[in-house]
Amino acid sequence: MMKNLQEWILLLLIFGIVSLLGNWIGYDTFPVGAIPGMVILILVSLVGMILQKLIPIDIPSIAYVAIVGVLISMPWMPGSEQIVAMTNSINLLALTTPILAYAGIAIGRSWTDFVKLGWRTIVVASFVMLGTFLGSALIAEVVLRMQGII
Amino acid sequence: MSEVPKNLWKDWRLHALVLGIVLLTEWIGTHEFLVGPGVILLLPMLYAIIIGLALFFTPAVKEKQSKNAEPLIVLGVTLLIAKIGVIIGPSLPQIIEAGPALLLQEFGNLGTIFLALPIAVFLGLKRESIGMTHSVAREPNVGLIMNNYGFNSPEGRGVMAIYIFGTVFGAVFMGLISGFLATITPLHPLSFAMASGIGSGSMMAAASGSLVAAFPSMETEILAFAGASNLLSLSTGLYMSIFIGLPLTEKLYNVLTARRDKKSHIKKGRGA
Repeated sequence: MMKNLQEWILLLLIFGIVSLLGNWIGYDTFPVGAIPGMVILILVSLVGMILQKLIPIDIPSIAYVAIVGVLISMPWMPGSEQIVAMTNSINLLALTTPILAYAGIAIGRSWTDFVKLGWRTIVVASFVMLGTFLGSALIAEVVLRMQGII
Repeated sequence: MSEVPKNLWKDWRLHALVLGIVLLTEWIGTHEFLVGPGVILLLPMLYAIIIGLALFFTPAVKEKQSKNAEPLIVLGVTLLIAKIGVIIGPSLPQIIEAGPALLLQEFGNLGTIFLALPIAVFLGLKRESIGMTHSVAREPNVGLIMNNYGFNSPEGRGVMAIYIFGTVFGAVFMGLISGFLATITPLHPLSFAMASGIGSGSMMAAASGSLVAAFPSMETEILAFAGASNLLSLSTGLYMSIFIGLPLTEKLYNVLTARRDKKSHIKKGRGA
């Protein structure tokens, strides 16, 4: 556990620094000002991951992470305004760019499997994604209109 | 997460490469171009996955870096979920208000069956098509199909094929179509925001990122709805597949193939 914790902290710090630099280049937020926001996100991640280890129910750690994130930032929580203000300095897309950079390097090993897929698979796969996206959007549109939200 | 190999942080080659990719792609920035009435958005994350993949085929990336990158994705997604959590928190009143839409649009994930299964059967695919089209084939669904049909079954091969496609191209594909569809169809961006949550962190980020780039004034709402929908998909998706998606796919497959077999039978009959 302690060994894991140390590894998680170091990796989250590396990931955080890379994101802060991307956040600076891409979204004009000077890294020093965004440090508190990044520290909060790293702490939320750590608390979620530790909770997952401590609670003996088989729920993925990201569920705990999400719950912790929502709890500390909901309007009824004292101090949530400061937390929201600080984390707002981290652009969501600044976090996704490094994820996909790591993903690109990792999926290289799936590439040989990918080129074997054949055109029919690629056609079907495209419609699989299109189907779930359009299906959900259509239902959401109907219900949101019925509720008068949009 | 106990399976994280030790001392990944020491792989400086990997982290330096990623830093290089991030700085380069963020510097290039977002570009958009018009295709007819729609907009296609090219986001830094899309260049990042392509450059990362290209680097895999250069000596800069060795097998070790590629292996080490995998747990880093998981950790990065954890950080992303933390960010999504603090986006959802302040918007909780609006999310509760939109709760019925959020819950019901989960059934839209079955749209893949109605759209893709007939196409798969039309293209001549056999029982592979059940594995391919019963869901978007992320990890829990791969597990479900392997569990029900076995690893070496046609259904298993089908789900793996879509899984591989999604892994390699899912984020790129979703990023490209979401901005485009939101600009050419009359549907509201918030409907597409909810649709972006299909149960994969990177696909959700790509789809909602494109929406934000196309409709910057709605940024917070788009991200909050997409994030909430993604969490909902993650927690309900597997049960949806077990109780509705997979049985429905089996039924529809039987109906479609019965019709196909009948047709080919008639053709054969005429031939003879």
